[in-house]
Parts: sequence; structure tokens; C-alpha cells
Amino acid sequence: MAFANAFYNTFVKRNSVFVTSIFAGAFAFNVGFDVAVTSFWDRWNQGKQWKDIRSRYIQEESES
Amino acid sequence: MASYAVRKSINLAPTVRALPNGIPSAPRLNLAARTPSDGHGHGHGAAGPRADVPTRLTGTFTSPSVGLVSKTFSAPSPTTHLQQRLIHTSVAAKDAPQVPDFTPYTPKDESTNRAMSYFMVGSLGVLSASLAQSTITGFLETMAASADVLALAKTEVQLANIPEGKNVIIKWRGKPVFIRHRTPEEIEEARGVSLKGLRDPQRDEDRVKKPEWLVMLGVCTHLGCVPIGESGDYGGWFCPCHGSHYDISGRARKGPAPLNLEIPPYDFNEAEGKLVVG
Repeated sequence: MAFANAFYNTFVKRNSVFVTSIFAGAFAFNVGFDVAVTSFWDRWNQGKQWKDIRSRYIQEESES
Repeated sequence: MASYAVRKSINLAPTVRALPNGIPSAPRLNLAARTPSDGHGHGHGAAGPRADVPTRLTGTFTSPSVGLVSKTFSAPSPTTHLQQRLIHTSVAAKDAPQVPDFTPYTPKDESTNRAMSYFMVGSLGVLSASLAQSTITGFLETMAASADVLALAKTEVQLANIPEGKNVIIKWRGKPVFIRHRTPEEIEEARGVSLKGLRDPQRDEDRVKKPEWLVMLGVCTHLGCVPIGESGDYGGWFCPCHGSHYDISGRARKGPAPLNLEIPPYDFNEAEGKLVVG
């Protein structure tokens, strides 16, 4: 209850603060979501992407 | 003159009163009365009440020991006390008695669920703002040049292949580009020109990034012909179409050309000895 009231008094009481924090939260959510999905994608496709296998081919070319 | 008044109308007291819930109450009206039935002539007798007894809409028949008494209420006595009795033991009459009482479920305090409600509103706002941002970004990205277009938009020249004092013409975005490897004497000449006599005054230092390399768009600023290199009165370029002369820095010196030859965006790749136009 105390936490809820602190949240209300900090963020919600003034509409300007509320809207600003919503936009800031949207920005942070965008970045965080992007990072999370990218890291999940890289882990799921580990060893299949060009950046993972690039070293093999570049090394072969420089050796030959 | 004798005057007399005839009362033509009187106000009758209401014979019917309304219950507190709006239903008119006429306690002595026999709403269950049926019309006297007759056998309507084909012999099966009466189906309803007896035809020879008057219907009791109002009033009663009683048959005491002597005779027959019929009471008919032509005007039932009005009820005069219509106010609700406020102190009584029966349940209170409500506006909508079918609606249950939600008092146990309503919050005790206005701050009970307030933070949660606003948190949900804010979360929806965050999600929709994020969604709108990605949608708009996606649309704007369709307007950006794709990688193949960007690859065609640049041209590379190996500078080591161009000897001193020679011109090279390359094609960049469909237009010719002049590259001249200038000799030190030509640089001296280009820098020694007084700006006062120029049609489009521009210092040679502002037209080149490296003094020995002059890179210009090979389009005459007059009407768009391609000038000829190493010719003209000033040792630079000469446009054969209308006779414009450019000097060794590509500045218009004579003829109808209003401006100096244009400088495209370019950069030097020092590591590979290349010039990148675009």
C-alpha cells in the first residue's frame, strides 16, 4: 500500500510527469525489447549466421 | 336581479391512489370479474358464470335472512392519507429492489486500487507508444536508399594509375567526373589568380582537398555540355558548345558560363590509394 501510494504520488499525480514517464518508458522498452529479441535470436541460431562462421572462410582465404 | 350560480363541475377526489412503487391501487375493484356468459344459442349451456347473476365489478351481494342486499360502490371513498409512513418495521422501499447490494465489494478507500489502475493505464500507454514508434520507423525505413542503390552511388578510382599532368574522366551517377593530377606549376598558377577578375570568385584552396588532385563534375555550367580538357585560353577546360573557358582550377573565366565547374562530394582512401567519389 505504501509502495502503491508512492508510485501514485511520484508518477501519476501530475499528468505531465505521467505522460513523460510513459514516453521514456516506451523508449526504454523499445531498446530493451530489441536487445532481448536479438540476443534470443543469436542464441537460437548459434553457428548458423554469417558472423558466426565468417572466421572460417576468411581464414581459409588468407591462408591460400 | 336575482343572481344565482350553477355549479357545473366539481372536483372529485381521486378514487384510486398509487402505491409507492407506482402501481395504482384500487382495492375494491374486482379485477377478476368475468362477463356474464350466455349459451349463444346452440344448447351447451353456459361456460362461465351464471348469466342471471350480475357481474360483481364493484360491490357485493349478500343474502341475509330476509331479502337480498346489493351494495354497489359507485364512488369508493377516497384515500386521504397518502404519505409514506417513514417509521415502520417493514423493509425499505427501494428504487430498484431487484439490484443486489454491492456495498461489501466496493473499495473501502479511494486509494485502494488507484495505483494499480493507473499502472495498467500507463503500461498500455507504454506499449502503444512503442508500437507506434516501430510502425513509423518501419515506414520511414522504406524511404531510405537500399544497399544496392548505395553501392552504385559511389565510384572508386585508383589514383596511382593517373600520372602527373593528366586528365581522367570517369562516370559517376551517369555524369562525367574530371580528375586532374596537377603539376606544381599548375597549382602555383591556380593559386596565383586574383579573385577580383573572376566571375564566380572562389579560392583554389576551397575547391580541392589535396592541391595535386582536382576533382570536378564535367558538366559545363552554361548548358550542360562536356568541356574538353587541356584546352582553352587558360590552360584548363574549354566547352565547345558555346565557348566557355575554364582555368586549371575549373573556374569560369570566359564565355557564357556563369559558375565554376561543380565539385562533387569525394574522399581519399589513403590506405588503398583510392579516390572515392560520392
